[in-house]
Amino acid sequence: MGLIAAKKKVAEILNSIRKDGRRELMEFESKRVLAAWGVPVNRTELVRDLSEAVKVAREVHYPIVLKIASPDILHKSEAKGIKVGLSSELELRQSFGELIDNARAYKPDAKLLGVTIQEYIPPAREVIVGTLQDPSFEATVMFGLGGVWVEVLEDISFRLAPLSAEDAREMIQEIKGYPVLTGIRGAPQADVNALVDIIQKVGQLAHEFPEITEMDLNPVFAFDDGKGAVVADARMVLGESK
Amino acid sequence: MSGEVKTIFEPKSVVLVGASGGGGEGIASPAFFRSLVHNMLRFFKDKIHIVDLSGKLEGAIKNLNLVPKGRDLAVVVLPPKLVMKNWRKLLDRKVKAIVLVAGGFDQQQREELARGAAKRKVCVIGPNATAGAINPAKGLYATLERGLMPSRGGIAVISQDGAVGTAMLDWARFHGVGVSKFASTGDGIDVTEADLLGYLTRDKETKVICIYLESIRDGRRFLESIREVVKKKPVVVLKGGTARGEGERDKIFAASLRQVGALQVGDVEELLGVADALANQPPLQGDRVAVVANVGGPAVLVADAISREGLALARLSDKVVKKITEKYPDINIADWVELGIGAKGDRYKFILEQVLSDPSVDGVLAVNELKLSFLEPEDVQAVAEAAKKSKGKPVVSVTMGGEDCTLVREALGGRDIPVYDSPQKAVRALGALRSYGKTRARVEK
Repeated sequence: MGLIAAKKKVAEILNSIRKDGRRELMEFESKRVLAAWGVPVNRTELVRDLSEAVKVAREVHYPIVLKIASPDILHKSEAKGIKVGLSSELELRQSFGELIDNARAYKPDAKLLGVTIQEYIPPAREVIVGTLQDPSFEATVMFGLGGVWVEVLEDISFRLAPLSAEDAREMIQEIKGYPVLTGIRGAPQADVNALVDIIQKVGQLAHEFPEITEMDLNPVFAFDDGKGAVVADARMVLGESK
Repeated sequence: MSGEVKTIFEPKSVVLVGASGGGGEGIASPAFFRSLVHNMLRFFKDKIHIVDLSGKLEGAIKNLNLVPKGRDLAVVVLPPKLVMKNWRKLLDRKVKAIVLVAGGFDQQQREELARGAAKRKVCVIGPNATAGAINPAKGLYATLERGLMPSRGGIAVISQDGAVGTAMLDWARFHGVGVSKFASTGDGIDVTEADLLGYLTRDKETKVICIYLESIRDGRRFLESIREVVKKKPVVVLKGGTARGEGERDKIFAASLRQVGALQVGDVEELLGVADALANQPPLQGDRVAVVANVGGPAVLVADAISREGLALARLSDKVVKKITEKYPDINIADWVELGIGAKGDRYKFILEQVLSDPSVDGVLAVNELKLSFLEPEDVQAVAEAAKKSKGKPVVSVTMGGEDCTLVREALGGRDIPVYDSPQKAVRALGALRSYGKTRARVEK
C-alpha cells in the first residue's frame, strides 16, 4: 500500500472509532491500523460466536490464541480473557465459553463483541514500542524490553518522531538490556533490523496522526536475526479530534 | 517572536528607562537602574537616551514622550506596575526591541505585553530578563551588575535565569574566557531561546552556543532549530530543575538533545569548560588521544579519565616513536609520552609536532606541571604554538592544582588552547570535542 492509501485507510479506521464515541482502540482495531501502516502484526480476526470461531480457526491454523474482544475490557489478562496455544477445535470449544464467562464475571456490564482468533507466535524475545504526544515535544517514541526491564528497572529509551534508521538503532542499543537482543549465553542475535523498521514506522505513524495520543505495542516479538519481528498485542488512545 | 533579534545585540541607539526615586530592594530598584546607566555610558559608543521617570538623574529626560521615535533598543528597569502603566507610551516610541529586566508579572500582564509586542512588531526579551543583554564587540553592556563585561571571544551564552547567567559571566571573566553574545531570556513572552539560535548561528563571532534552561518552552521548535545550528556550530545545554519530578520528560528531553546533536552537561563549570574547547579547537575526529606529559603521576589520572570518557589512549606509530627517541633517547613512550621533568618549551614543541603529525593520533592532551619539574609557565606557549599548527586535530592542556593553572593561563594570554585545572575537566572537554566530531560526521554524511 502506498503512503496516501495507507493514510486514508488509517484515517478511516480512526473515524469509525470516533463515530462510535470511543477514545480507545481495541486490540484488533489497533492491529488493523498498524497493518495498514505496514507494521507486521500477527493475524487477528474478530469472531462473534462459536461457529464463526471454529470456521476462522481452521483458516488461521492451529495452534491459535484466543482473546476477549470488548471495548470495556482493555486489560484482557486481568479479566482472564486470554488463552494461548489452543491446539484443537475441542480446546477452542471449551475455551470460548470460558472466556465469555470470565469476562462477564470481571465486568458484568461490559459490552462483549466476541473474541479474536489470533495466529499463535512461538516464543521469542519480547520488546515494547510505544508513542506519546507530548504537549511541547510533540510525537515521541519509546523503546524497552518487556516485563521487569521496563517496570522495575525503567530501562527505556526515547526519541523524537519521526526518526531516522540510525536514531532507531541507537535507541535500541542504548538500553542497558541490549545484550539480551545481541544474544547472551549462546543465543543468536535477535532481528534488530526488523525492530528498527517497526520503531521507524510507528514513529512515522505517531507523527502523521497526532490525534493518536498514545500507542502501546506490548509485546512485540523479535525473532532470531533475519526472521523478522511481529506485534503481538497493541492498544491506542485517541485525543480530541482536530 | 515579533521583530528582528539582531536589534537586541547590535543597536545603534539605546533608551534606558527606569525610576531613580523611591526605594525598594527589587531588581527595579534605583541602585540597579543607576548601575545600568553607568555600564552603558562606560562601554556604549553610540546614542544613549536616559529616561528617569523620577526626574532626578542628571542628564535624563523625565517623560517617555520626549524620546525620539524609532530608536533601536529600550532597556527597561521598572517594576511591573510602572511597566504596565507606561507600556503604551513605550510602544508609541516605536523602538525596535525592548528588554524588560524586572520580573514579577502575572499571567494577565504577560499576555498584555505579548499582545503589544506582536501588534507593534517589536522584539521583546523578558520580562524577568534580569541579566539583560551583552555584546562586547559593540560595547553593549545592558546589565545591572558592574564589572562583568567579558572579553571578546567565541562563546555565546543564553540563560533563562539571570543569576545563573551572571554567575557564568563571572566565571568567564575569572578564567579569561571570551564571550561573543550574552542574553538572559527570563519569562520569554516573545523572544525564546529558539529565536536567538537563528541569529547566533549566523553571527560570525560566535563559535559555540551555551544554553541554560529551567523550563522548556516551544520544545519541538527549539529542538528542530538546534538540529540546524549544529550543522554550523556546536550547542551545549544545561537543564536545571531536573529534581522536580518530571523524570520522564527530562529523559525525553535528554534523548532528544542527543538526537538533534546537542551536548548536555551537568553544571555551569562543565558547560563553560567544554565550551572553551569547542570555541577554540577543532572537533576530535576519532577516539585516539595522545597524552604528552612532563611528569607521570597526573598522566595516570588523565589515562583513567580518558577510559571513563569512552576515549582511547593513542599508540604512536613506529616511525614517530623512532623520530622522537632518536633526538631524545631517554624519553619513555608507553601509554603516554613522558617528556621528563627537565622538559622545556623546545622539547614540548618538537614532540608535539611529531605526535600531531602521526596518523594514529586524533588529538592531544598535554600535561604541563610546574611543580617538581623545571617547567616555567612561559614554556607552555610551545604547546599553544604546536596546537596552532596542528591541522584539524585538537589540543587541550591540563595543569593540575589551583594557582599553577592560573599562572599558565596568564602566560598563554591569548588563550590559544584551553587550560584546565584537573584531568577530569580536560578529558571532559575532549569528550565534548569528540561528541561534536560525531555530530558533524553525521550531518555531513
